[in-house]
Amino acid sequence: MSFVELPHTADVRIRANAPTCDALFSETTMALMEVMYGRDRRGGTKKEIVLEAADCEALLRDFLSEVLFVTEVDGLVFAHAEVRLEGCHLHATLDGEPFDPARHNKGTEVKGISYSGMHIGQDAKGYMLDIVFDV
Amino acid sequence: MLEGINNVGTDEWEVPVGFVPGMRVPGRFFLSETLGALLEPGAVQQLANVATLPGIINNSLGMPDIHWGYGFPIGGVAAFSLDEGVISPGGVGFDINCGVRLFTTPLTQSDIKKPRELIESLYQAVPTGVGAKSSLKISPAALTSMMEKGARWAVESGYGVERDLTRCEENGCMKEVDIRSVSAKARQRGIPQGGTLGSGNHFLEVQVVSEIYDETAAAAFGLTQGQVCCMIHCGSRGLGHQVCTDHLQILESATKKYQIRLPDRQLACAPIRSPEGMAYFGAMAASANYAWANRQLIMHSARQQFERMFGIGYDSMPLVYDVTHNVAKIEDHTVDGHTKKVCVHRKGATRSFGAGSPDLPGDLTRIGQPVIIPGSMGTSSYVLCGTKTAMERTFGSTCHGSGRVMSRSQAKKTITGKEVTDHLLAQGIIVRAPNEAAIVDEAPEVYKPSSEVVQVVHDVGISALVARLSPMGVIKG
Repeated sequence: MSFVELPHTADVRIRANAPTCDALFSETTMALMEVMYGRDRRGGTKKEIVLEAADCEALLRDFLSEVLFVTEVDGLVFAHAEVRLEGCHLHATLDGEPFDPARHNKGTEVKGISYSGMHIGQDAKGYMLDIVFDV
Repeated sequence: MLEGINNVGTDEWEVPVGFVPGMRVPGRFFLSETLGALLEPGAVQQLANVATLPGIINNSLGMPDIHWGYGFPIGGVAAFSLDEGVISPGGVGFDINCGVRLFTTPLTQSDIKKPRELIESLYQAVPTGVGAKSSLKISPAALTSMMEKGARWAVESGYGVERDLTRCEENGCMKEVDIRSVSAKARQRGIPQGGTLGSGNHFLEVQVVSEIYDETAAAAFGLTQGQVCCMIHCGSRGLGHQVCTDHLQILESATKKYQIRLPDRQLACAPIRSPEGMAYFGAMAASANYAWANRQLIMHSARQQFERMFGIGYDSMPLVYDVTHNVAKIEDHTVDGHTKKVCVHRKGATRSFGAGSPDLPGDLTRIGQPVIIPGSMGTSSYVLCGTKTAMERTFGSTCHGSGRVMSRSQAKKTITGKEVTDHLLAQGIIVRAPNEAAIVDEAPEVYKPSSEVVQVVHDVGISALVARLSPMGVIKG
């Protein structure tokens, strides 16, 4: 599992790879957290997210949008995400800690998750995703 | 210039119908040859995608700061018929009414004996960066009032003066608000963030008027050579982001319901007068009003710091103007020789109404609207004036900034925060930010030169240069 930042002039474009679609969603959540808060993130506080959507792209967009809502409103910074997908149904358990300005003020706010530039692909090695975060 | 694009005049280019399937009108953008070398194919594709939307009038337009965004390109402008046209959050963006305001002071550069102290006091006064919370206690009722009244709510609550309102586009309040279309989630995000700057390209900058190009317009705007000013750039914060997210979801279903074929899901839209279209418009207006109130709150905090540090009166710091650059609005424009109400989307573009426009305050109707174009941290910002040419050619629109040329990932590889800070300090510019990454992300090198962008809009005639403002110190989110 891994993610890298690809060139994008205005926003943040991420490419994530994972052996399963569940892991791909987890990995993308971690990319989102790293862009916003940097790498020093710890667990301790759990948060559940349950969602349904029309298709896989909508599910990912809605899930990450929900993560953006939760991280801002609950003031939680997540270090780990366990995602289970069954068709277009998602159950995620996020593990994080309260926002600490001294350690987490290392990134930039993400304003939204865009469909533009979103591509989920699959090959023999597993799943790959390109996604753009509006910052 | 990219293949398939036609040169149709000085700094003017056409994307012909057929560039992408389903285009209803041509695309048209304004760009010098030099800036054209930096144009991304993705931005042109997005400009062409917009031309496929139902009810688009004349052209899908691109300003000279055009770059690759999501849905519309950044720097994209399009007007839609109220009868056959659509409204799309992809033509406004997540940061609804992200905008800029500029206020002046009676100070000159030599009055600022301790610039670092001034920047630090502004940094302490304005909550900045990721996770920053407002020191204000905004009640749910006050939030409703913010969304209904915009900048007026702030002025009535003691955060400004009546005159400020006449110096905001729309007087700081869109009247088409529909509070019921703003979700509980958006409200939850709005309450703790009133008066916060945010992060990314948002900033508060102390500047000095370093050059005047048009004495008459500068005098009308209240700008004099050597004067210290303060510029604020931010938007509707989490509330606006949530409104965009919520309504994109609703409009995706509407796109199917109204059988609209789209080349990009991010262009999800609905007929303007449909229930879904009106709901988005009402919620967007509420977010736009929140943003005007937010910039008013930040300006109040900044004015208080100037007042405290220099013993100058609050009333001696008038607002020059406040412009929005992410919005959809119903405006009167001339279409086929007749004045018509149309829905203008501006995504990273600024309104540029010329002299004679009834929307301007009385003392500016003979001059035109002040257009405020921020530069990057180390480069100049500009004040321009709206023109009649803009009314004729771009639905009263012009550029909104410099436009990026280098990605954040590339910036991180090539520059360090310390290098940027030292380089700027050598030019007498102080930078204050919560972290080094925020400085690198917005380094002067990552933007097109603002001077070239404003020269194009001046030469094309869609706004006219009035004054140049040089940075003295900046706080970044």
